[in-house]
Amino acid sequence: MRDYLVLETRRTLRDPGFVIGGIAMPVLMYLLFTNLGDDAGDWKTGAMVGMAAYGAVGSALNTGGGVAEDRAIGWLRQLRVTPMPPHQVVVGRALTSSVTVLPAIAAVLGAGGLINGVRLDAWQWAALALLLWLGSVPFTLLGLGNGYRLTGQTTGVANMVANLGLAVVGGLWFPLALFPEWLRTVSGFTPSNRFAQLGTSVATGQAPPVGGILVLAGWLLAFGVYAVLSYRRGAAND
Amino acid sequence: MTPTEGTTPAVSFAGAAKAYGDVRAVDGMDLRIERGETVALLGRNGAGKSTAIALLLGLRPPDAGTVELFGGPPEGAVRAGRVGAMLQEARAVPRVTVGELVAFVAGRYPAPMPVGQALELAGIAALAGRRVDRLSGGQVQRVRFALALAGRPDLLVLDEPTAALDVEARHAFWESMRAYTLGGSTVLFSTHYLEEADAHADRILVVDRGRIVADGTGDELRRAAGGSRVSFDLAGRPADGLTLLPGVRSLEVRGDRALLRTDDSDATVVALAELGAIRGLEVAPASLDDAFLALTAPAPTPAPTTPAPAPAPAPAPAPEKESMR
Repeated sequence: MRDYLVLETRRTLRDPGFVIGGIAMPVLMYLLFTNLGDDAGDWKTGAMVGMAAYGAVGSALNTGGGVAEDRAIGWLRQLRVTPMPPHQVVVGRALTSSVTVLPAIAAVLGAGGLINGVRLDAWQWAALALLLWLGSVPFTLLGLGNGYRLTGQTTGVANMVANLGLAVVGGLWFPLALFPEWLRTVSGFTPSNRFAQLGTSVATGQAPPVGGILVLAGWLLAFGVYAVLSYRRGAAND
Repeated sequence: MTPTEGTTPAVSFAGAAKAYGDVRAVDGMDLRIERGETVALLGRNGAGKSTAIALLLGLRPPDAGTVELFGGPPEGAVRAGRVGAMLQEARAVPRVTVGELVAFVAGRYPAPMPVGQALELAGIAALAGRRVDRLSGGQVQRVRFALALAGRPDLLVLDEPTAALDVEARHAFWESMRAYTLGGSTVLFSTHYLEEADAHADRILVVDRGRIVADGTGDELRRAAGGSRVSFDLAGRPADGLTLLPGVRSLEVRGDRALLRTDDSDATVVALAELGAIRGLEVAPASLDDAFLALTAPAPTPAPTTPAPAPAPAPAPAPEKESMR
């Protein structure tokens, strides 16, 4: 299992598309969005959490792209004729995702603290990183669901649409205050919004709201079911 | 190691069947491969070789019948690390080096060979540090061979192992495989190259339309197909009716030359002489090629006295023909 984790993590980190799209982009967008306007202040912290969340969502979804690729090239099939049990492959993939979301989170938080001068207590940094890390799990499941169900190309498109859609509607790129009332209501039901909310509450020194945790848990369940159904369908045809 | 170790075959199929929609890819297949044997699964594209291998490896469950490896379900043998496989439709695994990939797969098995040895056997020792997705097709194929070998499996399953290799690489491949089987492993490989099956297998299983239609050594198959090949120049003469001549089983026309496969070459030649059709007449023993064509003939009931309809100038068998040298 550990070997598989190492192998797949290496393969992900060697993907220029992942490094640029999943790590460099969120950092650049964060620095751009927070240094172009004049009023920075709170937004530097809010945007830091939003962009770290955006990077984590992208990285988590990317795992599904890897799965679709591995199905297409026959690598998953090859694994099935080794002694490695099939469930270890899926779990290994999900764990890989939990490793590969870390660079994006670390890079954006690092940019916030070191470049944008965001000041938080040590426990806040730690809790923020931890919550962003744990909160990315539903998105990993969504990515895996896409990866096991769709072809390589459509997985890429589905992941990109999901990533951008969730980022914009969830308010990861722009503050919710800019949204019309109805969109703010919709936003409250997106997993990405509630994911970022975990982080912003910690950054402002509050406990995450129960409603937000419930919405996120609902999505965790929904994406989990989706991933399992997709896996059953996809793996049977590998 | 169970007490029945010495007696259970490495592979056994009993009435195994697998359909995809209306296509009966494997249609009631019975076969038995003893330990230590090297067996070729020979058939044209679409004959059911790959599906048979998918059943054998437990990648697909059979719709009917049973498939066993070492006396148990295929999944059990695979989980126990007794099987190594080179699958047909596998492409290069991106963003990983040859050494990393082979080491990873070897590490899944209980008693693998050293990675260096696997690379050496597959002839890719010099490529250990190269990325798999930057290799040529033939090199990737050798990487896949190394993956199959690396776990030192009891049963090595190779689906069209030489498909992308040039002549030289093919030669090297068979030498490596021979070196590996000295260890007493069982090998099953599929191919549509007759000469490979003949040269490298102890036994050939001919697959056609999802069934095993013949089972034996190359010589046995040649004998079983029987008869001879009589050929002559048509010299503009129509080929109609030639299949009705005594002994003739099938007719093939290549350009201006007629090739008759016959069970009784004497009677056929006499009949041809009566017709005056003897220009460039040649009589030759049936080749393995002929044996293969006879065994897998598209005719539903090829009987000696009711000649099979003459095949059109060999559309389907063409790839097999080309492979003969």
